[in-house]
Amino acid sequence: MTVISAEKIIIVSLCYFALIFFVAYYADRRRRMGRSLLSNPHIYTLSIAIYCTSWTFYGSVGKAATSGLDYLPIYLGPTLIAFGWWFLLRKMVRVSKEQNITSLADFLASRYDRSAVLGAIVTLFAVFGITPYIALQLKAIAQTLDILFLPLKSLPEPTSGLIPYLPGQIDSAFIITLLLGLFGILFGARHLDSSERHEGLVVAVALESLVKLVAFVAVGIFVTYGLFDGFIDLFQQFHQRFPDRSYLFAVGTAEVPYTKWFTLIIISMAAIMFLPRQFHIMVTENANEEHIKKAMWRFPAYLFLINLFVLPIAMGGLLLNHGDTTQADYFVLTLPLGANQPWLALLVFIGGLSAAAGMVMVSSVTLATMILNHLVMPVILKLKLRAQDLSGILINIKRLGIVGVVLLGYLYFIVIGDSYALVNIGLISFMAAAQFAPAMIGAIYWKRANKYAATWSISLGFAVWVYTLLIPSFARSGWISSDLLQYGPLGISLLKPLELFGLSGFDMYTHSLFWSLMFNLGVYCMVSILTRQSDAEKKRAIMFVDVFVDQDQPDERLTRISKAPTIVEFVDLMSKFIGEKPAQTAISAFLADKEIDHRGSLNDQDIFSLKTFTERTLAGHVGAGSARIILENYLAARGSEMENIFDIFGSVTIDGAISREHLSVLYDVSQLVSSGDSFQSKLDRILELLAEQFKFDLCVIRFLEPKTRTLLVKSLVGETFNHFGKSERNLSNETYIGQAFLSNVTMVVNDTDELEKPASSAIIQAEGITCFAHLPIVLEGEPVGILSAFSRSGKGLFTIEFIALLENIAGQIGIARRNEQQIGRLVLVREQEREMQIAKEIQMALLPASLPSLEDIQVAGLCVPAHQVGGDYYDFIIRKDGRYDVVIADVSGHNIGSALIMAETRTFIHSRVDGINNPAAMLQALNDYFLKDLDRSDLFVTMFYLQYNLDDHQLIYSNAGHNPPLLWRQKVQQIEPLDAEGLIFGIHKKINFEQKNTRLEPGDILLLYTDGIVEAEDSHQNLFGQERLEKLLSEEQQSTPQELIDQILTQVRLFTGYRHFNDDVTLLAMKILK
Amino acid sequence: MKQHRPDNTLREAWILFMILGMIMINFPFIHIFNGDMSLLGIPRLVVYFMYGWPASIAVIWLFVRRLEQESQAQQNNNNNDLITR
Repeated sequence: MTVISAEKIIIVSLCYFALIFFVAYYADRRRRMGRSLLSNPHIYTLSIAIYCTSWTFYGSVGKAATSGLDYLPIYLGPTLIAFGWWFLLRKMVRVSKEQNITSLADFLASRYDRSAVLGAIVTLFAVFGITPYIALQLKAIAQTLDILFLPLKSLPEPTSGLIPYLPGQIDSAFIITLLLGLFGILFGARHLDSSERHEGLVVAVALESLVKLVAFVAVGIFVTYGLFDGFIDLFQQFHQRFPDRSYLFAVGTAEVPYTKWFTLIIISMAAIMFLPRQFHIMVTENANEEHIKKAMWRFPAYLFLINLFVLPIAMGGLLLNHGDTTQADYFVLTLPLGANQPWLALLVFIGGLSAAAGMVMVSSVTLATMILNHLVMPVILKLKLRAQDLSGILINIKRLGIVGVVLLGYLYFIVIGDSYALVNIGLISFMAAAQFAPAMIGAIYWKRANKYAATWSISLGFAVWVYTLLIPSFARSGWISSDLLQYGPLGISLLKPLELFGLSGFDMYTHSLFWSLMFNLGVYCMVSILTRQSDAEKKRAIMFVDVFVDQDQPDERLTRISKAPTIVEFVDLMSKFIGEKPAQTAISAFLADKEIDHRGSLNDQDIFSLKTFTERTLAGHVGAGSARIILENYLAARGSEMENIFDIFGSVTIDGAISREHLSVLYDVSQLVSSGDSFQSKLDRILELLAEQFKFDLCVIRFLEPKTRTLLVKSLVGETFNHFGKSERNLSNETYIGQAFLSNVTMVVNDTDELEKPASSAIIQAEGITCFAHLPIVLEGEPVGILSAFSRSGKGLFTIEFIALLENIAGQIGIARRNEQQIGRLVLVREQEREMQIAKEIQMALLPASLPSLEDIQVAGLCVPAHQVGGDYYDFIIRKDGRYDVVIADVSGHNIGSALIMAETRTFIHSRVDGINNPAAMLQALNDYFLKDLDRSDLFVTMFYLQYNLDDHQLIYSNAGHNPPLLWRQKVQQIEPLDAEGLIFGIHKKINFEQKNTRLEPGDILLLYTDGIVEAEDSHQNLFGQERLEKLLSEEQQSTPQELIDQILTQVRLFTGYRHFNDDVTLLAMKILK
Repeated sequence: MKQHRPDNTLREAWILFMILGMIMINFPFIHIFNGDMSLLGIPRLVVYFMYGWPASIAVIWLFVRRLEQESQAQQNNNNNDLITR
């Protein structure tokens, strides 16, 4: 046999990994440039072939050589189900795109009432179920390395310390584990990606799929046509040499009974759809539904090709190894080695490495996403971590998750891996995936299926899986005592894991499939039928099952959020979890087609869809369950509540019982409620309508007066004696109306001869009333008033249907009341806003309207308040003697108080400028003046004051704690900050303001600014800073002052990512021309 | 309201082929090919899968082609609708 040097293997492997990484990196770059490689259906098909792991690559031949054709059903099942992808897979893809689903666990959690518990359970089981499979891949790589390094050593033997340069304790599998974990992080968790799509990863997987196919087919051709003379020759030689092994080509044998064959087909069908990595590649990473069509036949064709040479290689291996099957799992590798084909063997090794690496990378990324979203997030949310921006922590948790999952696989491999043939470990994972099948298929085809059913069926299915498959595999590897298998737990033979309830005579997979699906499916159906869904869950079910039916979701229109958060608050919430920039991008996409009113807010319906949108966006990052918890907690914390808008026809069943007349009254009332009339006239007209249509003698609406706790008449229609209808009512259970209000139920008396409340009976009978009803008017669950209707002409007027109608009308009156209150609040807000607007206009007028344009100097200034009014101030004063005073000041805060201080500052300066000749004296005077005012108001002022003399170009200046202005010296091409000693106003009585002077030359630029510029923050809390400002100034030295200011403002906005500033921003630039 | 579903015939055909497929790769159907009989030295069951499998892939291919034709036709229809309107 040929020996390939370790160096060669390591170098080739590393080169190969580098190639894959380069391809992945290239794909990511293409995506960013908008020319995605995933628009190619070939890549989608090839990436699905991640199904073929090292188990296929090495294990199939091993299986074919030892037990026969039972490697085939693993690929026949997927071929069969691929036929239905256009219906099944496309539906899963469509649902996932619409719901922003990130993983299999998210899909289930999302469908079943966004249940966080279900998400966590699925995640746990997926991790448990997939770990053996990852172990299997590590084992394959480690063993092939062994074969390459030490071909003469007899195998299999425990792998240890095989890479020659490494110390004995570290085996090659461990190195590979770490490498694959690193790759998972590089491809899958470089940054938190919305919607969990990783283009680079997919393209890398597709490339690996191509490589493994090429490698396997190459070996196949080499064995079939190089070592032997074609298929027929192989079969003939085999028959001659091993006439007793014809069972390898038959089904229904002791090795491959028909039941096992059937079992394998079923679980492989489940595995291709519901293994988390398959779900990820096929559903989450699907770029275009049309690709499914192509994949439907191309993927089975791939499977066919990769299986075509399994039998020839197996037979070739047996023929050349004299029937020895101990190394059958690695015939693919040992045959080229034995035939002195080192390069072919190396290609095979790379193929196997591809098969294993792709699976481990995608699985670990997928599982880490699930762990993050369904195990870690709920805990984070429970703990209510108050961090400003969680996105940084989340990505690191995800990275940790990837390494954790791979290491778990390694642990399994160390503990149990060596005792089992490759293929058996894989089947354990397949069976785990099959446990998701009922809940997954039910999710998109059975509306009635609910979360209890899904939670219990999956849990039970897994319990049976653990008991009938995982525990026996532990026992067989000697990890736990095999007594359990032989005698059952505590000697109860009925509970033997491999012959549960006495079911014997089947292989362990069939046995496990039968029992696990029996419990799983049984509980799923039973619980679904026996328990009820909440309204919210019903909605989710419809979204999933009827995804292809055009839905105009009526429910959204009927729900609103009371005390709804504003757009900004929603954005802040999103930023916390996904980072600020993505949140801004998302919200602008959402707002693109929405109408925003003049107050910058949305109407009720759009706010509700914004809530849904926020939840969906968050779901793309943290999963549906967590997203729901986040929003619910958030809304609850703010005191916001979801409430139903009154559905005018919702509570009335339209059958024979309701007359056309009733319907038209309902319609008219709803028209009245939504009309532009005043509240009072709405109420009056509703009562008129009732009295007229239903011949009531008296209709009254009373509302609660909270101070006196009495019901006051708001509107009344009809005749009344003795002020019966007009009087107020106390709240007590003694009267019908009081009881109706206090217990929030409709009170009906159809015959006043049978009154039970003596307090009411006298007056009612005196009025001649024969029947009446009191209906509570409810607002946000609380009664706020009563609608009463009285009749003198007949008894038994109030039938159940009629009461339902009146209740409906009472509900609509509640809406009218709420609208009225809201309008009241709106008017108030608008008035305040108008006042602020006036204040703003006055304040802006205090700043110089235009700056003088002179021959010698150019000046430009700008002030952008953060809110309507601000505390920034700048000014430019021309003295009679040709000196110019320039001042810039910043009053802390940006409210009316700051604005008043700013106005006071200006008045002081303007009135005293003639008497005070230099900056230091001016600051001194200002400080004395402000000392008391500022002390009382908790405000403080910083100011920079300078005076420029055109004649001698001298500049004198003083500073009261303001940011030092920047001076660009044209001659030396340098920036010099102008600073002078001095404290902010309002702290000390005696402050010594230093006065400095300097000379300005033509080309010099002086830039004064407030801290709003240098303290502008980007999303990572980085400050814009003085350095950036200085850089800008030196770059823009040729510009005019106005251009300079505009440029600075643009750059600061670009830096923060906002148009809007958090603090007032003021800039003043002066350029010396002569 | 326009429902974007493939035509019902296709859906029925799909279910039928799925069932047929399930039958054709399972007991008792494959029992027909089981046994020692061989064709040119290749066991019959192996031959069955070597030819049956690509044949089933061809069926999927035909099915997909039909799907594509139909969505094409629907698009044309939609376009015609727009034009006639």
